[in-house]
Amino acid sequence: MSQVSIKHVEKVYGPTSGHRRHAKKGNANLKVTDEGVVAVEDFNLEIADGEFIVLVGPSGCGKSTMLRMVAGLEEITRGEVCIDGRVVNDVQPRDRDIAMVFQNYALYPHKTVRGNMEYPLKLRKTPKDEMNRRVEEAAQILGITALLDRKPKALSGGQRQRVAIGRAIVRDPKVLLMDEPLSNLDAKLRNQMRSEIIKLRQRIHSTFIYVTHDQTEAMTLGDRIVVMKDGMVQQIGTPQEVYDTPANIFVAGFIGVPQMNFYDARLVRDGDAYHVELDGISVALPAEKCARLAARGVGTCDVTLGVRPENIERAQAGPNSLTGTVETTEMMGSAVHLHVSVDGKDSIIILQNNPEDGERPADIRVGDTVSFAFSGAVAHLFDRQTEKNLEL
Amino acid sequence: MKRSERKALSWAGTGLMGFLCVAWLLPVIIVLFNSFKNKMFINLEPFELPTEQTYIGLENYETAIDKYGFLDSVGWTVFITVGSVAVILLCTSMCAWYITRVQNRFTKAIYFLCVFSMVVPFQMVMFTLSMIADRLGLSTPWGIIVVYLGFGAGLAVFMFCGFVKSIPIEIEEAALIDGAGPIRTFFTVVVPIMKPTFISVGILQTMWIWNDFLLPYLVLDTTKYKTISIVIQFMKGSYGRVDMGAIMAALIMAVIPVVVFYLSCQKYIIKGVAAGAVKG
Repeated sequence: MSQVSIKHVEKVYGPTSGHRRHAKKGNANLKVTDEGVVAVEDFNLEIADGEFIVLVGPSGCGKSTMLRMVAGLEEITRGEVCIDGRVVNDVQPRDRDIAMVFQNYALYPHKTVRGNMEYPLKLRKTPKDEMNRRVEEAAQILGITALLDRKPKALSGGQRQRVAIGRAIVRDPKVLLMDEPLSNLDAKLRNQMRSEIIKLRQRIHSTFIYVTHDQTEAMTLGDRIVVMKDGMVQQIGTPQEVYDTPANIFVAGFIGVPQMNFYDARLVRDGDAYHVELDGISVALPAEKCARLAARGVGTCDVTLGVRPENIERAQAGPNSLTGTVETTEMMGSAVHLHVSVDGKDSIIILQNNPEDGERPADIRVGDTVSFAFSGAVAHLFDRQTEKNLEL
Repeated sequence: MKRSERKALSWAGTGLMGFLCVAWLLPVIIVLFNSFKNKMFINLEPFELPTEQTYIGLENYETAIDKYGFLDSVGWTVFITVGSVAVILLCTSMCAWYITRVQNRFTKAIYFLCVFSMVVPFQMVMFTLSMIADRLGLSTPWGIIVVYLGFGAGLAVFMFCGFVKSIPIEIEEAALIDGAGPIRTFFTVVVPIMKPTFISVGILQTMWIWNDFLLPYLVLDTTKYKTISIVIQFMKGSYGRVDMGAIMAALIMAVIPVVVFYLSCQKYIIKGVAAGAVKG
């Protein structure tokens, strides 16, 4: 196990690099300076011994670049990466005592599974007996003992990924880096491998840094997650913290499936009490929210109101409910996702499909009119200009 | 198109291809049976099969070997071919790996230089080349290997680059993290993956160098070193007469190794050439 400290790390790709053209064509939000394209900007993170950190964000947000800088596969433009207190900026990848699992497995196609797993040990001149013991042990943990004499081309995607993980854990690295390791797998296998990574984590004693664009993986695997966008850290926190109190509209929209509903609303302060007004309805905020807003000196202002689909409930049509027309329905088995248009704006509502309580959301059809409401306790309030959470 | 028409077209295509195959092989077959004929009859009846009167067994082969030093020339040809192909494979594979993985103006210039060298005909540079080779002391079998490296590099670099591009860079990065330096990564990871391209480049270069006449004729000191093609040429003029029987036998002996080599490795040619074309 090992501590990793990332201090003010930046990555700028030079003006001649293809990344600049890429930035102009594709990810136009990346900052372009005279120095070049800023792929990662002022990244700070302290990772504790044995912690499982997940870097999550959309494509092109700089998460893989950050991971590659920790691995030593990318030069660090500014800042420091320390592993166990040692600055490793100029240390070769092989001397950092790290291991990495790649999205496309990166297995050596000409070697058998055993050959792949032995390779890092051979390079470290590990005695043959010790090497065999470690390979057998890793293979047993990952359930690939029967595959040791096969070549990678004879394996399925899930088996290949297990071998890639085996090659990484066989030498007991201080830090285990994983770059979207499950992205190439189908949905069922991904779920299975996800739970296997959780089990693996309990059996080996490495610090994990895991990159993904899948927020479900981030939420289920990480002790803490780092949400990134356009090369900048948006929020660092436990999955529950990030879900409950997203730092800004981006995080609120990125974390959670289906994504949070956003409405233009007005926050009204009345003494120490607050309420939100939107589309003619008024929702009072609970005392603790009011206290936090008052403590930050928030006054009456226009806000973006966020409400998660699972926090919305069906209600009787009335002055305290929103009414709209169902545009699409998605039957998910245990629940139904309704896409409801309220004054031209799309809202998503999740209704549990539980016939015992008399309601049958599955009977709702496209074109039906439904009314819904939410309580102030589940409302997230964001500044309209800065897009930041007003409670933080 | 009706089924019968398709079938007829297919038969026509097969017939045409069969005819082309025979036309292509006929000169070789003529050389083969002439190599067993008395040299007097080769000019008189070149297209006749050996008869009791014209057949002389392996006499032409013995003449080519004993009188014209054919075995020495085989030795030099093997030395030059093996040496040149080994040097070409080693140097161009490393060069291709470097210029594919390190993208800058210098590597781009090297790549285009290599590609451009493929379109320059040998005849255009042969005079200056032979002069320079002579002055640099390259007119020996080991010196000509350097010249062959220069001429073979274009196609080899082009083919290797195409293949290296198809190798996911993550494999090399994994080796780097596992503890391998660049040289070890190249020899223990990249080279085994490039095996099909190594074989196909090796076959193409071997066939070219083995059969080459003009370059060794211009560069080598032919009083000391003769390749097979030079010996065959000497059979034609060096004694003021043409020994067609020995020439026929020498041609057959010269072509056998390269045909066997090609037939045993031909499946790799297609594999290697196509390997870089499609992303794996």
